[in-house]
Amino acid sequence: MSVISFIALILLVLVAGGFYYGRIRSIRLVQGDTVLLHSLPNYHGYYAAIWAGLPAFLLLAAYGLFSGFIVDRLAAIELHTQASGLNARYEQLVDTDDRFRDLEQNVILLGARVETINAEIDTARSGVVQPAEQVALLRQQALDLLNQSTRAEEELRLYSQQLAAQVSESARSEGVSLVSLAGFELEQTPRERRTLFLSDARRLTEGELASRDTPELRAAGAVISAYQANFRNFVAVSALVLGFVGLIRAHLKVGPGFRARNSVERLITTVLFISSGLAVLTTVGIVASLLFESMRFFGEVPLHEFLFGLQWSPQIAIREDQIGQTGVFGAVPLFAGTALITVIAMLVAVPIGLFSAIYLSEYAGSRFRLTAKPVLEILAGIPTVVYGYFALLTVGPALRALFGAIGIEDVDLKSALSAGLVMGVMIIPFISSLADDVINAVPQSLRDGSYAMGATKSETISKVIMPAALPGLVGAVLLAVSRAIGETMIVVMAAGQGANLTANPLESVTTITVQIVTLLTGDQNFDSAKTLSAFALGLVLFVLTLIMNMMALRVVQRYREKYD
Amino acid sequence: MTDPTPQNSLRDTLAERLPRRYRAELRFRAAGLGAVMSAMAILLVLILSILNEGLPAFSVHNLVLPVSLERELVDQEGDASEASLRRGRYGAVLQNAMREEFPAVTDRRELRALFGLYTPLNSTRLMDEVLADPGLVGTTHVFRMPISDELDLYLKGQLVQDRVLPTTGRLELSEQDGSGVAISASAGFADLAGEMRRSIQLEADRLEVRAQSSRQAMQIADADERDRLEAGAARAQRQADSLIAAINAEPGWIALQGELPSILVQADGRILKVSALSTDGRMARGEYLVGEGDAEPVAVWSLYVIDTPETRRRVSDQVIAWTRALESRGRIERGFNHYLFSNADSREPELAGVRGALFGSILTMIITMVLSVPIGVFTALYLEEYAPKNRFTDLIEVNINNLAAVPSIVFGLLGLAVFINAFGLPRSTPIVGGLVLSLMTLPTVIISTRAALKAVPPSIRQAALAVGASKTQTVFHHVLPLAAPGILTGSIIGLAQALGETAPLLMIGMVAFIADAPSLGLEGFSQPATVMPVQIFLWSDAAERAFEARTAAAILVLLALMIGFNALAIYLRRRFERRW
Repeated sequence: MSVISFIALILLVLVAGGFYYGRIRSIRLVQGDTVLLHSLPNYHGYYAAIWAGLPAFLLLAAYGLFSGFIVDRLAAIELHTQASGLNARYEQLVDTDDRFRDLEQNVILLGARVETINAEIDTARSGVVQPAEQVALLRQQALDLLNQSTRAEEELRLYSQQLAAQVSESARSEGVSLVSLAGFELEQTPRERRTLFLSDARRLTEGELASRDTPELRAAGAVISAYQANFRNFVAVSALVLGFVGLIRAHLKVGPGFRARNSVERLITTVLFISSGLAVLTTVGIVASLLFESMRFFGEVPLHEFLFGLQWSPQIAIREDQIGQTGVFGAVPLFAGTALITVIAMLVAVPIGLFSAIYLSEYAGSRFRLTAKPVLEILAGIPTVVYGYFALLTVGPALRALFGAIGIEDVDLKSALSAGLVMGVMIIPFISSLADDVINAVPQSLRDGSYAMGATKSETISKVIMPAALPGLVGAVLLAVSRAIGETMIVVMAAGQGANLTANPLESVTTITVQIVTLLTGDQNFDSAKTLSAFALGLVLFVLTLIMNMMALRVVQRYREKYD
Repeated sequence: MTDPTPQNSLRDTLAERLPRRYRAELRFRAAGLGAVMSAMAILLVLILSILNEGLPAFSVHNLVLPVSLERELVDQEGDASEASLRRGRYGAVLQNAMREEFPAVTDRRELRALFGLYTPLNSTRLMDEVLADPGLVGTTHVFRMPISDELDLYLKGQLVQDRVLPTTGRLELSEQDGSGVAISASAGFADLAGEMRRSIQLEADRLEVRAQSSRQAMQIADADERDRLEAGAARAQRQADSLIAAINAEPGWIALQGELPSILVQADGRILKVSALSTDGRMARGEYLVGEGDAEPVAVWSLYVIDTPETRRRVSDQVIAWTRALESRGRIERGFNHYLFSNADSREPELAGVRGALFGSILTMIITMVLSVPIGVFTALYLEEYAPKNRFTDLIEVNINNLAAVPSIVFGLLGLAVFINAFGLPRSTPIVGGLVLSLMTLPTVIISTRAALKAVPPSIRQAALAVGASKTQTVFHHVLPLAAPGILTGSIIGLAQALGETAPLLMIGMVAFIADAPSLGLEGFSQPATVMPVQIFLWSDAAERAFEARTAAAILVLLALMIGFNALAIYLRRRFERRW
């Protein structure tokens, strides 16, 4: 890395020198009479600096991002070729070994039987009548078979390890080079552990702590570090060459007629354009990642079961060798919980927010407004995790005491009501500031007309201003609903995790966001439906909020009355 | 003139209606005021409840013990080298110091309870102090450490219901047949004896009533139920009888049995746990928890009543007695809880602090700022000043408006799927957190920057163009500097939002327990870390009660940070705002 930082330093000097040189040269070319230049001398300087620095720095950035990957690849290929002799010997041993062949056939046989029985289960389930006992029986058999086949695979793996150990043992006694032994070991490691092998080797050469330490690893590390050094030197030299080539290009270009400013401005525009493309890229990234993982989920759980199933219990075996538990992914309880909490939140937030906005914009004097507005802004700025703590520690127990006092005892400490109430408080400032904007946008002439007819203030508000502002208010409420649906921390902390399908606000319910959090914190395995279901839920959340936002925009645009 | 109503009657009807209309007006206005007031009241309740919870956590009770750092324990090699000092048995040093305080404690179970007054993790802190100053070896060093979290709560009066009763007159402690006896010259136990008698009587009455109601319920219950009820009634009756018997067992004495408050008498360095009071209030009998033997009569003595019965609390009378004894010896001091700021997270509440989370937040915010502000400003500049009106720019606009309303947790999913799984960036690190948060903050920055750019009047642009500036020169030399205050304010508000964000960071694994603060350097960006809001979330989930107060304290720190940010934004807006 020190070589690279040194190169970066040289490049920085080149950039500064380039700027100075471009500027001086342009001035000198016109003998100091800068009016003759098309662009100001500074632009010639910028041009030279950009050509000296930009390509080389891009190269260095690419090196930083991909060097590890490329070096690992090169080293792996080298190790592979070194180990070809040992590999051939191992292949030969495997081919001639009877026990291995038996085990392998056993595995294939069991795998085929598992396939057959799964197909049978499928036909039994898709048939018109579904004999429950028969399906259950088949399931049991399938489980047994799956157990057997995993065991057989394990046995095969152990035996092949034994064989590999034999080969490497004999090779070591013959004095085969450590590099080939390392290559052979890498070849024998399961695919998912190869990165660990390589990173261990790398760590050993750098003198850091590795998960284990063997001569083979050290040999592999030597190979890697050789490649690393070569690759680094190559990149360093190329970067320097690029810098100088850029300078020479600038040297040739700079002159009185050269449109340096236009080139520099073109670059600036390109940079601005690329930045604005990033917003699109983010959306594409969101949609792509959600869709991709959700597709994998829906490959395992049918879409209709997910959308209309009434039971949610995603507990599924995390590791491959645990068999026997399969999750149920019916998301209706989550949708219902989300809806319940959202409704409660809206019942709190819409009246308070709306009336606050009306009072602040129509009734309040400027001094009252000056104190009340910051209060609402503070409410809006409080992090949601603080609201969650408030719901958990203050509102939950208070509600329990309150309902206990009127004789209702079975109030959960984490209830839909406490989460909903606090979420409503969180949304008050959101609604009130949006409604404030909308109400202020209603022209004064409408109010004046109403007052001229003898209407009181409240009549003017409810009969004239509200109808005029209605589309905007509907939009505001829709945006607030979309926010309530996507809110996470309050519900995670205060709504509970049991997927109850209930309309009783005193029970604990769970929501889409809570489940995403519970599914993705802790152990993850990106092949299990449990983890993938979080992405399916995320997709639902994204689509829901997208629809809400679109609707809000549409409502505002279509029904806005024009008063100009 | 189609309306035949005479003018008079119309006026009457209107006049009749007028009070109703005014009342409606009043109601409407009151509803509006009520809404604003309730929002304010909620904010007040929220802040007060957090202050109420959190303020006690800023102070802590410290044990101040003289520990003798004997060379054979601390420096086993004898060369005062770092390696040797690191192998020292500092736990034993602390234990010896405690033994010194209470030499009478020898039983192993009791010793374990005694060493439970502090967490063993403090030995590491002692080691750090010795490493910082190896000259301490062989001397007696005054070491301060936080007392265990539950005792801290006890001393703050938050763990149990307890009282300290006023005492008068002289008290004499003596030992008779293995139990301690306290004789008060001025009948100082009289009130207490009466109170205990009443509460025993009350308890006995309550049990009798329960027995009676069980018997009544038996009349209408079925067979199974009847047996159960009968057993219950008999049990309650038995308990009531034994309570009454205990009062009357020994004439002149009230034995304290069952779920009664614990009473501790402290005098002359000894602590007596009272098991019986004399009815005349002059004498108390019980066992010594601290100290033993006879003592001279003293005028200054203390009477502690712990109303929560011993079976229903997590600190025993013995531990409380030790704590009170240490307190009276001046070994316990209340001070500012600096552990809250100098330590990272810990499993032990008394040593847990927000330093790690604070550093994590700083590192994450640096990444967020470096990425989201320039990119956001560039995007806004492009859209506002350069972009031609075409479908692509329309698409970008719609996109940004939608991104602003996408739930934050979705950005977390994006970060997990793209940055961690696809790009292979390390989990739980500030760099990934910063990337995710900057994507989330981007729309805020873009929208506020565009508003600031829009506020610059077109005359500025026209003037610049008129004197021959190019488009880019106009934008960068004239428009951008004029819009800078607005951009700054918007960016700060966006960053403050990101500072308080939790959900997306849970997705990328920043919820791990991390006992070391990340270093505030380049390498810190790729070290596992957590951030303030996540730390709050983690602590709010913790089982120990002492974490409740620390959660609230961490919230106060976070709120202070955010108020600082927002105040800066408001100041900048006031200072540089220009109206055209």
